[in-house]
Formats: sequence, structure tokens, C-alpha cells
Amino acid sequence: MSQFLAVFIDALRLLKAKALFWITLAISVLAAVLYFSIGFNEEGITLFFGVETWENEFIRAGSPLAEMFYLGIFSMVMVNIWLSWVAVILALVTCAPVFPSFMQEGSAGTVLCKPIGRLKLFVFKYLSGLLFAFLQTSIFCLIVFFAIRFRVGTWNPSVFWAVPLIVLMFSYLWSILVTVGVRTKSVMASLLAALLVWGAAWISKVTEEYIYMAAEMGELPTGDGTMRLSDEEQQNFREGYALYSLPYKVLPKTTDTINLLQRYITVEGEREFSMTQLIGAMSGFGSEEDEVTEAALKRHSPVYIIGTSLAFEFVVLGFGAWMFVRRDF
Amino acid sequence: MSELAIDIGTLRKCYGRFVALAGVSLAVPKGEVFGLLGPNGAGKSTLVKSLLTIVRPTRCDGSLLGQRIGHRKTLARVGYLPEHARFPDYLTGRQIISYSAGLAKVPRRVAKARAEHLLEIVGMAEWADRKNGTYSKGMRQRVGLAQALVNEPEIVFLDEPTDGVDPEGRVEIRKLIERMREEGRTVFVNSHLLGEVEQVADRVAIMARGAIVKQGTVEELTHAENRYEIKTLGPVPVEARKTLEEEGISVAGDTIHVHAEGAEQVQPVIDLLRGTGSPIRQINEVRSTLEDVFMEAVNRQKGEAV
Repeated sequence: MSQFLAVFIDALRLLKAKALFWITLAISVLAAVLYFSIGFNEEGITLFFGVETWENEFIRAGSPLAEMFYLGIFSMVMVNIWLSWVAVILALVTCAPVFPSFMQEGSAGTVLCKPIGRLKLFVFKYLSGLLFAFLQTSIFCLIVFFAIRFRVGTWNPSVFWAVPLIVLMFSYLWSILVTVGVRTKSVMASLLAALLVWGAAWISKVTEEYIYMAAEMGELPTGDGTMRLSDEEQQNFREGYALYSLPYKVLPKTTDTINLLQRYITVEGEREFSMTQLIGAMSGFGSEEDEVTEAALKRHSPVYIIGTSLAFEFVVLGFGAWMFVRRDF
Repeated sequence: MSELAIDIGTLRKCYGRFVALAGVSLAVPKGEVFGLLGPNGAGKSTLVKSLLTIVRPTRCDGSLLGQRIGHRKTLARVGYLPEHARFPDYLTGRQIISYSAGLAKVPRRVAKARAEHLLEIVGMAEWADRKNGTYSKGMRQRVGLAQALVNEPEIVFLDEPTDGVDPEGRVEIRKLIERMREEGRTVFVNSHLLGEVEQVADRVAIMARGAIVKQGTVEELTHAENRYEIKTLGPVPVEARKTLEEEGISVAGDTIHVHAEGAEQVQPVIDLLRGTGSPIRQINEVRSTLEDVFMEAVNRQKGEAV
């Protein structure tokens, strides 16, 4: 335990010394305060602590959709854009040198000569690398937790689901960063590899959705709506689905892991969060849930999304650990 | 020889076709200062790294502190300062020692007290809470030494410990090594600075091209190469010179070089000179320095390789 503590404290000190960590934290706090500035009155939604009002008949003070709207902003904007994109990139940049600099001459020797197994050391260093994402997300969620209580009047601990989900999503990319770092000892190569896999994962997700829509719904999205497919075209997409969705199946599901948050957060402690209901209300069309679209959005189970992503992570990490254990320093 | 701290039967390390250690065999007694000498690239660091599991040997048969080499738990009784030691710049001297203690499983309270003590010993107490990034090379080396001792090791490996350290710092490191010996620790010093090792080591091995070419106590190595120098008043007479050269003794002008284990072996030469009436001006016992022994051993190894 003392060995893990030593590695863990060292990781904390590393973060403390990194300017990027503090910059990211400052922006996170600012984003959380901006979130806190959103409120409700009788006419609709207020922005910047009541400076601006956006009239909306469905979302206003005391309306059932107010909390859902507030949670929607949290999951779609704060988590989906800030925490899962910008903050993750900054976390990757900050953590990228951890393994390459550890493996420089004169550095690894001071640690490897201690009575600690290489595999254990690898795992400890890997886990402590998740601290950045964990700390950033935890602080952010804590502010959001209090903001919801103040603005909507309910304590909603389900927002803390963002912490494990963001850390999990970061861990997929961190495993690539670590493995390529061990192989090449290059910060730039490991960073590029992680970004490349992340990009590939995102493209595979978009492709899978596109093929799924065509194969199952017989529709293809176009610039001005959707295009209806013939039965023959739909059949072709059905036959090609297994092949075209293969990259999606194999690669880590970064976007879907984050989107799980919308399934886990609850409204008023019991109702499930509904994306289609919220979008309908915000666009003024009504507050009914689109069950078909909801079903399509939730077609992959959390076990499938997390399980296949973790399988990818374990394979990559296993390779990294194998190299780390076997190489000479 | 007393109980051994290191007992290597065979140690071999190859990187592809390149042989870094060509079957090294070595014995280091407990409680002594052992100096491993060799030119750059001889394989000194690879040998130490192999003993400490930093490098995986191709073939290894031997023991470290009574356990097989590679036994992880034994490393808790070992201290190590690598060549070009690098510690994170964001840590202070005190934190570096504490980090090292944590990895060596030293309890926190004990580590804290030891860190204070060690910082005093290496003369870094005043700068203990400054970041490593602000330290000079010498200061880093001192902190490196302190972290190597935080687990109170039975054996300490120091790889080029005085590299980049100023003369004053070198003296202090030497005193520290002597202190470690007084405390009963075995100290294994890797160096290419012969003078320094000669001053502090009890026993020495010379390494060249991945092999130990000579080993023994400093006394044994330098004594084995003893010679006497006899100077005559004027050139050595031709007849005497001829006789001496026939005996394999070299003569140059007024100087005769006699390789001999003891003074009694020089007596026949003196008698010969007296017999020819040549006055003897000076007789010196010329003791080889470690540098002479080193150069001779390394050059011989080079010659054999060619």
C-alpha cells in the first residue's frame, strides 16, 4: 500500500506542478459558474444570473421540464463538449510525458531497483494517470450538484455519474498513450496515436449510426432532412451493416460511453432523462417523447458499450505492460 | 574471503549480436568498498543494472546478499545511485527521498526521520525544500546519494558517483563512502576515475569489453607489478649490460629496470654492478599505480581482441 501511495502522491505532485492542470481547472470552474448563472422565471429561462430571458412555454420556473432542461445543458454541453472533448485533450497533453520521461536513462533505474514488481509499477503508474480526469470531473460535478439544488430545488446525486464515465472514457485513450509511450519513448508519437484512435472511434461511430439508420429505418440523413430509401437499397445496407460496423465494434466507444450519462441521470429522482422530450420542448413543438428515436439512441446496452471498450483497453494495455515488463532500461 | 555480498558465477548480456557482458564472474565480500574500473563502454553500468533487475541478463548464475540475482524482495536491502540520475524537477530534495522511501517500503514516520538525517549528512538540509529543477549537478548527486541510503541498505551501488561533482564535493562523497564502510555496508563503486577508486576501494576489478580482466585487492594488484629502478654513476658498463639483458632485465643508459617481487631478487644485480666497479647512485622501489595496472590490463585486452 505504501508503494501505491508513493506513486499516487508523486502523480499528485506532478499535476500540481503542471500549469495546464490549473488552467483546465480554472476553465472548469468558470464553466460551472456559467452553468450556475442559468435559472428560470415565470416567462422561461434566464441567463447570466437573470440578465437575459429566453421565453419558453414548456421550460420555466416550476415546470416539470425545468430540471430536465438543466440536466440536459449539463450532459449535452458541459459534459459532452467541455469535459469529454476539451478537458480530455488537455488531460492527454498533460499526462503524455509521464511514461516517456519515466523511461529516460537515469530515471527508470532509480525506481526499478526498488522492491516493486514491474507489472505492479506499471499498473500503479497507469492508475495514477487517471487522477487528472478524476479530479477535474469531480470538482466540476460538485459545483453542478449545488447549482441544481439552488436553481431547481432538488438534490440530484445522479450527476456524479459523469465522474466514472469521463474517467472511463479517458482511460481508453490513456491506455493508448501509455502503450505507445512505452514502445517509442516519444511524447509526440503517443499523443498522435491517442488522437488518431479517438478520431477513428468517432468516425466509426458516425458511420455505424448512418448505416443503422439506412438499414433499419430505411432513411438517410441529407442536408435538408432525410431521404427515403427503396426496399432494395435498404436491403443492401442491411447486408453491409455487419462489415461497415466492424470498426465501431472493435474500437473503444468514446462518444457512447459519455452518452450513457443521459441514461443514468434521473429527473426528480425517478424519471429517466429523455433527449427527444427535451429537444421537442426547447424547439416549441411539445414535450412528448419520440419513442422510436429514443429506442434507436439506446440500442446498445451499457454492458456492450463499456464491455467492448474495456476489452480494447485491456488488449492495448496488456501489450504495453508486456513491453514494460520485458524491456531493458 | 569473508561472506560474500555479491557472488556471480556467470553473467552474460547480449543485445542482438552485440555482447555487452561476456560471462562475467565476480565476488565481492561483505563490508568492503569494491571498485569496478573500466573505460567507457566496458559494460560496468550494464553489470550493475543486471544485478538490480533494471536490465534482464541473457544468462545469470549468482547471488546478491545470499539470494539469487533477480530476487525482488532482496532489493529492499539495496541502495542505488545510477549514472546520470534523473529525478523529477517538480520534487524537492526531501520529496525525492520520501518517494524513494515509499517505493522501498520504509514506513512513513521512519522515512521522515531518516530523510532529515540523510539531508544533514549529504549537506543538503538547507536546500531540502527547494525543487530539484533549481539544483546544480552536484546538489542533485548529493540528493541522489541520500535517496539511495534511505532504506539503510546493506549494499550500495554507486555508478560514477562523482560525475559532474566539483573537487570539494568529490572529497565529501569519498568521506561518505568511507563512512558507509565504517557502518558495515558494502559499497560497490563504478568509475573510470582510477585515482578516486584507489583512494577508497579495498578491492578492485578491472573490466574491458564486457569481461573482468583483473581483480583483487588494491595491494595485490599494485604489488604484483612491483619493480626496482637502479641508477649508476654514468652509463651501465657494456659487459654488465649484456649480462643483464640476457637475464631479461631492461637497461637504458644509466638506468636498470628490475621486475621483482622483493628486494632480495635485486641483490644479484647489485653484486654484478659492484663486480664491474660501477658505482650505484640510487636504488628505488617503484610501485605500480592502479593506473599502470589498468592501462596494462585494458591494452592487453585490446591486443587480444585484435
